Amino acid sequence: MSLIKSFFIGIMLFIPFLKSYASGLKDTVSVGFNTYGDTNDVQVYSPTFSIMKTLSKHFLVGFKMRVDAISSASIRNASGDKSLVDTVAGASDKSGFDDIRFAPTFIVSYDDGENSVSGGGYYSKEVDYTGKAIFLNYVRQLNQDNTAVGIGFSQSNDKWSPIFKRNLPKDYRNEQKIDLSVNQLLSPTASIQFVYSYMNSTGFLSSPYHYVKQTDLARFENYKDTRMGQAFAIKGVNLLTPSTSIKYSYRYYKDDWDISSHTISTEVLHDINKKIMIGARVRYYTQTKASFTKDIGTYKQSDTYFVTDYRMSAFNSYSFGVPITYKPSVDSPYKFSFSMDYYQTSDNDYIKQWQKTDNLKAIYTSFSFEYEF
Amino acid sequence: MKYTMIIVTMLIFSGCSSKLVRVMPYEKENFAMTKMSLNPLAERSEQEGHILLIREASAGGDSSFQGGCGCR
Repeated sequence: MSLIKSFFIGIMLFIPFLKSYASGLKDTVSVGFNTYGDTNDVQVYSPTFSIMKTLSKHFLVGFKMRVDAISSASIRNASGDKSLVDTVAGASDKSGFDDIRFAPTFIVSYDDGENSVSGGGYYSKEVDYTGKAIFLNYVRQLNQDNTAVGIGFSQSNDKWSPIFKRNLPKDYRNEQKIDLSVNQLLSPTASIQFVYSYMNSTGFLSSPYHYVKQTDLARFENYKDTRMGQAFAIKGVNLLTPSTSIKYSYRYYKDDWDISSHTISTEVLHDINKKIMIGARVRYYTQTKASFTKDIGTYKQSDTYFVTDYRMSAFNSYSFGVPITYKPSVDSPYKFSFSMDYYQTSDNDYIKQWQKTDNLKAIYTSFSFEYEF
Repeated sequence: MKYTMIIVTMLIFSGCSSKLVRVMPYEKENFAMTKMSLNPLAERSEQEGHILLIREASAGGDSSFQGGCGCR
């Protein structure tokens, strides 16, 4: 991983010696509606809205709003106690929808053709959690637009407010993320992207509600309060025929909780005609368990860390989906898109123990309408 | 080793800068097509990025921002 970091640092230092150039900002409005449902009785309905408006040739401001209306018919915590809240998926007790999350984002962008800078602020409010973040990205076009080098930074300062009285050891969760990316055109029909991410988290990193319940103990879930992870991804797209393209990607992730993962995915997109594009994609993911995750039923009073969340255990998952887009004509300002994906994990003892199913199955959809004005 | 890698990377890119120009401006029409984007459906990417952060223990590698929420 240090070699990968050095590679990107070398590229960043090389930037000043390169010749660069162009891109553009657009006025757009979009509305969307996303859904998520799984076998853990979690349903999420998410209307979205965004508007991007240019202030001048080089400046743009934007506002995005996302609302997650979360319904968990069997709101329960890991013990099955309905007086407590949050499934592993994360709903919190409330009438109507179990929780409604509001997440506005403000964006400011500058683009002069050679350099693109965008930054903004994010705020997210749930009944028991408040998220605040700032982010900044810089992309420079190089080599007559054949190469683009980017760097991004984000800082989150989130706060837990459990809905029942519990004194958390720390009530915050702070995260920093740095992304370095390089895009390169390989030919008139192929491009490739490399991305390196560094992530650091501190604070209360487990759920305040889940607890391990065995015949000999009942203890709240507890993880280490720091976590450092790194990810390296390579992605590409090739035009196979004038009407068909294929995308592919691979990501390797590793952190200091000893979780490592491999993700591969591919997607084929095909223009049926000048108005409609359809596609198909598959994704496979596999991860190892955290160093402090033990077999179900083997936790001891003397242990420091306790786990109920299957995400800390070893498992695989796969998903496949179909997207479709529609544009009334090539130069139409309107664009519609829709996608549906099926997701399933491998059979897992943690899911079996805490969610009473062998594995987790989910279906999620996304719809959006975009207007360029 | 780290500094050697940095220097080697700079030298490699310095030496082959012109070779990185592989596509002329008049050859770029393909990249204007939606299907040639690494992120052809922005709404789907944002939705899926959020779901996978909740459903899996890994993150990163996407060069995009995902804000925090209690479901993680």
